[in-house]
Amino acid sequence: MSYLSTTDFADDPAFVDRFTRNMRGDLDLSWMKVERERPTCRPLNERRGLTFRDLDVDGYGFTEMPELIRGNRSFAPRGAAMPDGLPDLQADVNRKSDVWAYNVEGYYEEAMSRQWNTTTDIPWADLDRAELPEEIGKAYAQLLTFLTEVEMIATDVPAKWMGRLNADFFEVKNFIATQAMDEARHAEVFRKRALTTGYGLMRASLHNEHNLKFLRDADSFAESSLTLHLQAEGMVLTLFRFSEYIAPTEADKKLFRLVMQDEARHVGYGMQHLKWVMDNAPDKRETIHRHLDEAENFVFGAGYATEVLEPFIILAGKGLKKENIEQGVRITNAFQLKQTEEYFERLAKCGLPERRERSRLWKFVELNRQAVANLS
Amino acid sequence: MDRALFFGDPFALSSPAVVVAFPSLDFFRALQRELAAERERFSRLGFFDTTFGIRVVRDGGVAEFTVAFEVFDCVRVCDGVEPDVDFVIEGPLGAWTDMLDNIHELGAADTAHSLNTLTHFGESLKVRYDDPDGHDKLYRFAESVQEWLDLSARVDFRYPDGTTPPPRRDVPRRVAR
Repeated sequence: MSYLSTTDFADDPAFVDRFTRNMRGDLDLSWMKVERERPTCRPLNERRGLTFRDLDVDGYGFTEMPELIRGNRSFAPRGAAMPDGLPDLQADVNRKSDVWAYNVEGYYEEAMSRQWNTTTDIPWADLDRAELPEEIGKAYAQLLTFLTEVEMIATDVPAKWMGRLNADFFEVKNFIATQAMDEARHAEVFRKRALTTGYGLMRASLHNEHNLKFLRDADSFAESSLTLHLQAEGMVLTLFRFSEYIAPTEADKKLFRLVMQDEARHVGYGMQHLKWVMDNAPDKRETIHRHLDEAENFVFGAGYATEVLEPFIILAGKGLKKENIEQGVRITNAFQLKQTEEYFERLAKCGLPERRERSRLWKFVELNRQAVANLS
Repeated sequence: MDRALFFGDPFALSSPAVVVAFPSLDFFRALQRELAAERERFSRLGFFDTTFGIRVVRDGGVAEFTVAFEVFDCVRVCDGVEPDVDFVIEGPLGAWTDMLDNIHELGAADTAHSLNTLTHFGESLKVRYDDPDGHDKLYRFAESVQEWLDLSARVDFRYPDGTTPPPRRDVPRRVAR
């Protein structure tokens, strides 16, 4: 108990007197006399319902929010009257450009309407009837182990930052709350599927965990979002699509379609956030590049680690025979190229087209592309 | 937007007796009606906000359509690909036929015929896009798009050569309800 009240209310005569008078019916009503603007908020689209965008009105909205939040250091909801003496919560993030994204309110509404339930939306009974050959089952269980690890940290990271953002960034805080829920659901679904393969959880990934620690320990929300939303989740989105492609049953396909929907939404926030940063704080360009330099080093070590790569090859080639492995290598190579190209494509769209030239990851991909071309 | 699709009796609008052609605007209108008839199911999947193009390439030409989704509904289908679509799904008639035959026969796409599988490496169908953010909408709404395509199992249609997709086989549904 580190935070103590400066008042012992039970011994405070003024407080006790006011309480006693209230309970006798002698109301103070000072809160009712506060001058307030009366907002008019109606659904722009009745079929969609009342959205955050419909609340973007004078005195309450987000469009007019300044870059620096100097006025509110408390939990006061944006637009509320703030009495003297509210606590300074010492939020770590008080600059709009550190968190804001174009359409963040839209991503929140989409997240809320597209929630799903691991327990009831996956046809688990159908999966009971799906017998997987041992090498496929083990490779799939290893992939699911890796994905469970990834999603657990993806839950922790937004949750870690939620309480550290200024309360005025209400829409962003709500969006990352949905993200934490999404990622928790992903960890749940991958754990459940790993156990229902009959092989259970396989081996944790050493390199991957170092990458996840790098993600978790980012120095700022801006760094964290860059690597979590845009880089890591962008690459995981391509991975989910690849996993749907190689998934052994129709129920697994549905599982990956559902997780990819959530992941693509998080990537959307990441892209729109980076665009916002480039439009409103272009001086951060070099800082972003420096962070990506190290992030790409980690992601290379994690994504290309043996226990991550080999299950892809086995699942894509559908077995361990020589011809299966050859086919699996070809398909996995194509996946890696696609994954990396899409990552750089997104960065370019956000205003960092020069990233390709600077990136060691891109140079490796180019070498890989040439090697694949020489093989065929 | 055809308001009758959204505010009338949705089940009365599903008319499986009419045989339409694929590819044709009538085919996508039939899917639009089927989606309206399944509004509750699509509402559970969540907001579905994307506009995309369909391109069917065949000997002697290309058939193009735009389908627009908003909130829970398909609000517009039209001929041609509009300039500001999020993405375009493109492929030869044979690739579309292969997917639609599979859906018609099984009631929903199997593991080899889901849209993501067919488009992932562009081996069968390709996804064209200018803006990666628009492209990612295919994945933000992946289950809605797949279930919309699966509705073609309920549409009676024929291909340009006069053939029809195989009749439905009685197999368990792919998705849990």
